Amino acid sequence: MEVPKNAQYIRNMIMGAHATHDHIVHFYHLAALDWVDIVSALKADAKKTASLGQSLSPWPRNTYQEIKGVQDKLKALVESGQLGIYGSGYWGHPAMKLAPEVNLLAATHYIQALEYQREINKVVAILGSKTPHIQNVAVGGVANPINPDSQSTLTLERLYYIKTLIEKVGAFVEQVLLVDTAAVGAFYADWTAYGAGVTNYLSAPDMPMDEKGTVFALPGGYIPNGDVTKFQPIKSYQDPFFRDNVKESIKHSWYDGDWDRHPWEGETVPNYSDFKDDGKYSWVKSPTFMGKPAQVGPLANVLCMYAAGHKPTQKYTNQMLATVSSLAGAKVGISALHSTVGRIAARSVRCAVLYDTLKGQWQSLMDNIASGDMTTFNPPTFPAGEQRGYGFHEAPRGILSHWIVIDSGKIKNYQAVVPSTWNAGPRNSSDALGPYEAALIGNPVSNPEKPLEVLRTVHSFDPCLACAIHMVDTEENEIVRVKAV
Amino acid sequence: MGKRITIDPVTRIEGHLRIDCQVDGGKVTNAWSSGQMWRGIEVILKDRDPRDAWIFTQRFCGV
Repeated sequence: MEVPKNAQYIRNMIMGAHATHDHIVHFYHLAALDWVDIVSALKADAKKTASLGQSLSPWPRNTYQEIKGVQDKLKALVESGQLGIYGSGYWGHPAMKLAPEVNLLAATHYIQALEYQREINKVVAILGSKTPHIQNVAVGGVANPINPDSQSTLTLERLYYIKTLIEKVGAFVEQVLLVDTAAVGAFYADWTAYGAGVTNYLSAPDMPMDEKGTVFALPGGYIPNGDVTKFQPIKSYQDPFFRDNVKESIKHSWYDGDWDRHPWEGETVPNYSDFKDDGKYSWVKSPTFMGKPAQVGPLANVLCMYAAGHKPTQKYTNQMLATVSSLAGAKVGISALHSTVGRIAARSVRCAVLYDTLKGQWQSLMDNIASGDMTTFNPPTFPAGEQRGYGFHEAPRGILSHWIVIDSGKIKNYQAVVPSTWNAGPRNSSDALGPYEAALIGNPVSNPEKPLEVLRTVHSFDPCLACAIHMVDTEENEIVRVKAV
Repeated sequence: MGKRITIDPVTRIEGHLRIDCQVDGGKVTNAWSSGQMWRGIEVILKDRDPRDAWIFTQRFCGV
């Protein structure tokens, strides 16, 4: 079945804007505080911080006034004695190495990032009706009518507003996010030696540009053993190279049985037992590609796009490595990306690539509408009998694939193999470690009571154990338990 | 003598993740990653109209 071009571009813009939002939030609000000591920022000289910021980037908001404002706000917060969400941070930890001025600059951008993540999320909300959980998807297209004679459809006013939002956030990505993550990489260069883990990388081609989904704006594929010269592309939604090589193991997962199965044959029958180091210990299944665990996410995506010769990816990767090299005073090559800080740097590179792609998708949509094509939906038809299908997408945390078996118009089996399943998965049927687990081996831990270094590596994957289920532990249960064995 | 560290739940992420590490001589020597929640959306989807799947599936990101 074919999806109209307008629908592809609208879907692509939602995906690109959503991922840009995710990557900004991940770095500043979920990961940065593993590297940035907010309390140390109080000791910084705001004038020196402003000159540091201006020496690193043309960003117009690295001003003394703005930086001093953030520092005053932080001071008031700390003096109040009510640190709120910052209360349980590992402030003053010996592994925190940034100068007070760098910490203050990062804290300033932490606050600014709150504005920009909101701006880019507006693109998702305008096109998808709300966010999260967009409402405009339809099998066969999107439910966004386009009609130049109507005010109640997707109008030029809305589309130009989207363009403004993309450009505003793009400047933040290029002038702030890319620079800050390069600085973290340079000042914590020792972290290029930790956290590689599983270096089989899997990534989906994405942003289909034609009705049949055979041409993609962003390439994807597979890299075995970290060797980019062995890159093999996934060429289309029908490519058997991907379709036939995915399996899930439940040997160490709380499901009934012990098997390795293709998702079309998969089952999800829960069978909980206690946490057993050598037995079952997770609700996450353990996916494999060609029988081996694979790391997914922005690092896998950037390495695959780089290997495929994707120009914007090569441009932003080289730009990132050049900034890191100049700040670190030593040549840093692409091999440094196989690491904890490399995963963070790659996420920023991907974010910049998405900014370029978003501009391209917007232009493609405008050009297609200008050609007189207003179609956004083709009604689907379901052939009789049993049908098997699947789809993939390069989500913010990596390759996502959904597998479906339909019988007489009803779902017979549905299995989703999502990015965090690939990365957070437990040992597989050969007892090979999953990517989180493998990445932790060899990590330093200077104080087991405050395992900041463990969090750095785990957070670098941007874990999403279930975005949509929001539960808050208000009982202040202990978070770290240490036992001498 | 080594130490076993259990971080449960890991915060500043989405969902419920438990990480266990064996630490010897200041280094992690073994690790376990454990998803501490079950989604079960696959079960909910059985026998439904495939055109409705997307509105259910976007409710689980992760695990």
